[in-house]
Amino acid sequence: MSDVVILGIGIHPFGRFDKTFEEIGAEAAAQAIDDAGVTWQDIQTAYLSRMYLPATSGARILRRLGSTDIPICDIEAACASGGVALRQAILAIRSGEIDLALVLGTEKMPRGFMDPSMIYAPWQVAMGLSLNPSYWSMRAKRHMYEHGTSELQIAKVAHKNHRNSVHNPNAMYRKEFSMEKIMESPLVCDPIHLLEICAPNDGAAAVVVASKERAAKLGGRPIQVDACVHTLATYSSDFRCPADSMSATMAPPGPTSATARKAYEIAGIGPQDIDCFEVQDTDAFCEIEIYEDIGLCGLGEGGALIDSGRTEINGDTPVNMSGGLICKGEPVGASHLGQIHEIVSQLRGDSGPRQVSGARTGMAHVLGAGGNCAVTIMSR
Amino acid sequence: MSEDGKDLPKRVAIRDDLLTKPLDDLDKVRLVGSRCRQCGETSLGERGRCPNCGSGDMETRELGTEGTLWTYTVVRNRPPGKYRGPDPFQPFCMGLVELPDGLRVNALVEGDVEEMEIGVPLRLRVFVHHENEAGQEVVGFAFARTDKP
Ligand SMILES: [Zn+2]
Repeated sequence: MSDVVILGIGIHPFGRFDKTFEEIGAEAAAQAIDDAGVTWQDIQTAYLSRMYLPATSGARILRRLGSTDIPICDIEAACASGGVALRQAILAIRSGEIDLALVLGTEKMPRGFMDPSMIYAPWQVAMGLSLNPSYWSMRAKRHMYEHGTSELQIAKVAHKNHRNSVHNPNAMYRKEFSMEKIMESPLVCDPIHLLEICAPNDGAAAVVVASKERAAKLGGRPIQVDACVHTLATYSSDFRCPADSMSATMAPPGPTSATARKAYEIAGIGPQDIDCFEVQDTDAFCEIEIYEDIGLCGLGEGGALIDSGRTEINGDTPVNMSGGLICKGEPVGASHLGQIHEIVSQLRGDSGPRQVSGARTGMAHVLGAGGNCAVTIMSR
Repeated sequence: MSEDGKDLPKRVAIRDDLLTKPLDDLDKVRLVGSRCRQCGETSLGERGRCPNCGSGDMETRELGTEGTLWTYTVVRNRPPGKYRGPDPFQPFCMGLVELPDGLRVNALVEGDVEEMEIGVPLRLRVFVHHENEAGQEVVGFAFARTDKP
């Protein structure tokens, strides 16, 4: 898939702002267009990734850049929305119809737990089976039971990500917390604490993608897209869906394993060839599970991997250099494109104090409601 | 009586296809499951098609009432939206309950939240969960520990 490149990136910091989604989105889009060295009028098609915004949000945002007849449509696939929007742009370019596209992710979300009626049935909401963190926490409990993963190891992930976030001006929380402080923060859903969980917020991120030929003419600092894959969890492979019941007779590979495997196959490389990772740490335990699912270690070895320090910025497989979702927050539609912004900055060598030395390849991963998972692999 | 003068049933299931009828004697109510005759998978509720293989060759059956706790969590904050549980809020357990029918049901789990453990034995409890806007009793279900705490 190396026939498509990312030519420009833009981001509006993730956090809570006294601004409309149109303002936030237009800022990120304008920045990506500038960074690519093109103009808004050069763009041939555009996609908006978003989950909680109203209809025609894409059109409303892009009008702020000046009225054109460029087609834009809104795309929603929960936490994987950004991956799906990027994939649509890549497919449009590969079809030969266009050679320059804008992919924008924008979200503006209320404080606190997400509106459960977006994801859950009324009976689940009435009974209280409708809290996203409870589903992640049940996975954590089972992993602890089967593999001996500890609350200390889970807290270490949060400790690492909070430490990394100090250097990220686009993160919502940029504060280092001691292990004690993390483990003494209130339990949200056992065993996950408040300082180990991400919060929904506002933010936007954008990329300009081009065919390799067009990019060669335009110059700049293109980053190759080696794979961009979206899959849904298969039957009984993940109870984040949320499912009423799960099979007790089979344990198929989860959506992250399945999506990463496809992405590695398309890119023609494996986890050992990737220099840096941004993954869906909706809570600190998730990151441990993802280590195993993307092949950084074997099943049940995620706890030992965080202990080893190898996923630190100066380790051999750095994960969530940006501070992850725990520190950036999760403006759902902008989330994956925010990860891609981080990876592209890393591959360009622009990441300052959180730079992974000599990074040439990177992976971004998201996973959420409905069992939606997206993985994008990039290289320079 | 409803607005159009028709009698509403006194009790309704929290989701119609989840529980057997009638709902008069709640001790006799069971969870409903669907078993696929093609692939053998069983899932909660009445389903026209198998969520695994897509076959329409399904049979509806009563699920067993005894199970074990496969995993759980403690919900420490009041769930958002139209939550109809106890007011004031009480932290509660939810979990996946493994039944002998080959499935794990996502359900409320009753017992001391500080003492809960994976593997404990559980039994189905069907009860009036709340009253709806029309004044009907809405029947829900949970699994309760059958050992001590
Ligand atoms: Zn079947």
